[in-house]
Amino acid sequence: MRLSALIATIAAIIPLIALIYFVIVRAIPWLDAELFVNNPLDKPSGISNAIFGSLQLTTAAILAVSPIGVLAAIYLNEYASPRVASWSELVIDVMLGVPSIVVGMFAFMVVVPQLGVSAGSGVVAIGILMLPIVVRTTQEVLRLVPSSVREASLALGVPVWKTVIFVVCRTAFSGILTAVILAYSRGLGETAPLLLTVRGTFAQNWLDFGTTMNALPLTIYSYSGAADSRTLGQAWAAALLLMVLALALNIVVRARTVNSRVA
Amino acid sequence: MPSDESIKTSTGVTTSRRTEPVSAEKAADDAYPTSSKYALELNNVEAFYGTFRAVAGVSLKIAPKSVTAFIGPSGCGKSTLLRVLNRMHETLPGTSVKGQTLLDGVDLYGPKVDPVRARRLVGMVFQKPNPFPTMSIFENVISGLRLGGVRSKSELESVAETSLRKAAIWDEVKDKLHQPGTSLSGGQQQRLCIARTIAVKPEIVLMDEPCSALDPLATLKVEELVRELAVDYTIVIVTHNMQQASRVSDTTAFFSMDEQRAGYLVEMDATSKIFTNPKESLTEGYIAGRFG
Repeated sequence: MRLSALIATIAAIIPLIALIYFVIVRAIPWLDAELFVNNPLDKPSGISNAIFGSLQLTTAAILAVSPIGVLAAIYLNEYASPRVASWSELVIDVMLGVPSIVVGMFAFMVVVPQLGVSAGSGVVAIGILMLPIVVRTTQEVLRLVPSSVREASLALGVPVWKTVIFVVCRTAFSGILTAVILAYSRGLGETAPLLLTVRGTFAQNWLDFGTTMNALPLTIYSYSGAADSRTLGQAWAAALLLMVLALALNIVVRARTVNSRVA
Repeated sequence: MPSDESIKTSTGVTTSRRTEPVSAEKAADDAYPTSSKYALELNNVEAFYGTFRAVAGVSLKIAPKSVTAFIGPSGCGKSTLLRVLNRMHETLPGTSVKGQTLLDGVDLYGPKVDPVRARRLVGMVFQKPNPFPTMSIFENVISGLRLGGVRSKSELESVAETSLRKAAIWDEVKDKLHQPGTSLSGGQQQRLCIARTIAVKPEIVLMDEPCSALDPLATLKVEELVRELAVDYTIVIVTHNMQQASRVSDTTAFFSMDEQRAGYLVEMDATSKIFTNPKESLTEGYIAGRFG
């Protein structure tokens, strides 16, 4: 039993190690400053359009979604009747489970006709995928705030809304930030919805959400079938960057969760 | 106001205690001819959780600037009744209150009374010390004022010092006001919570078993504090510890449970009388430790 379990564990770890090894080994030769400053339209030595495109798309989406998601979580946790809360939570759980290609399809059919194939449509699609993550994680964090903290504030003659903002949210602030970072890291890697809404471009796009933009997942998708070694190498480099970014954010989340004062 | 005199209490703290046995309802009636002279007056108060009646028809009067202890077996509605007195009971879902709760003659549950205002006048200290975890000692003390809209830094600082001094914790924390409130020991945290409560200048301070989570030394300190605070505040304290009730209170109210598990007031009298010569045999049985 013990031996077979050990073998299973090794079998589970090998693909992960292999993946990390391959990405690093293949990407390293192509990692240089030019990768970050040039875009393929000007010079073929860089993928800055994808790197900064990804950051712009995900940042725009998180900026749009965080306030909505956090407020929704506050409503569900602090104000909603148990019935409303449980129904809404069911809907949010379903949203969490919707495959991203379905969200992409929805954005393609409903949003693209309005906003065109553009970064804007991509932001909407990624936002839809991030929203339930923000809501659910924030809710979990708010739930960790002991009711004794709420009671202490109410008993001081502090109105409910001030208790919620200045006491409950303040106590949970670190955790709420963690929820937002988690959603950001998930948004970074989304590919399917971007394929259907943004499609990608060789040009560098700065903050023009009305036209198309590029993103790391799109670069990986379109470059990974290439025949020339540089384009292929850039696909690996894009993969490494994406992996490092997501990993870094997850490490931040982990560190924050461990140090969280709410627990 | 009746004549007060300074006496030494059993804990050795100089404090003022009324000469009359204010607690005895009859005697109190003579001392205070008009009802508004009572800090609190309850007429047939009932409290519910959903359809369950936790407190049944309690009527009692509490004299200003006195310490009243609520004692009785577990589940007899003492804490629930305490939470009725500052409208904290209604913050739990499905709860309701019936009857009249008069604060200085004004019905706390009147249509024009804002529960937020009621809680400002009637502060509360909880069973478990509950300082705000992300706030410093200083921020904890002034939290009620700051959230109530006080901006002036000098005012906040002076109130913080006065409140911490009154709560007998100033000397222990004056050099670390900006450390987290949760870094203090349990007893210090509870005194911090008391400072936080009196910082908003309530008329009445409710204490729900404030020492049950504390060690004997910390308990002694809080008890001394209760006696000192009674000079300025009306205090109602729920306790399971009968020695504590006899040490700190002027008046004791004994509660019990009826067949429907609803808590009711058995009797209320001067503490010395309750503990030596109670009217009801039920009280005597409880004091003697025969049940509860």
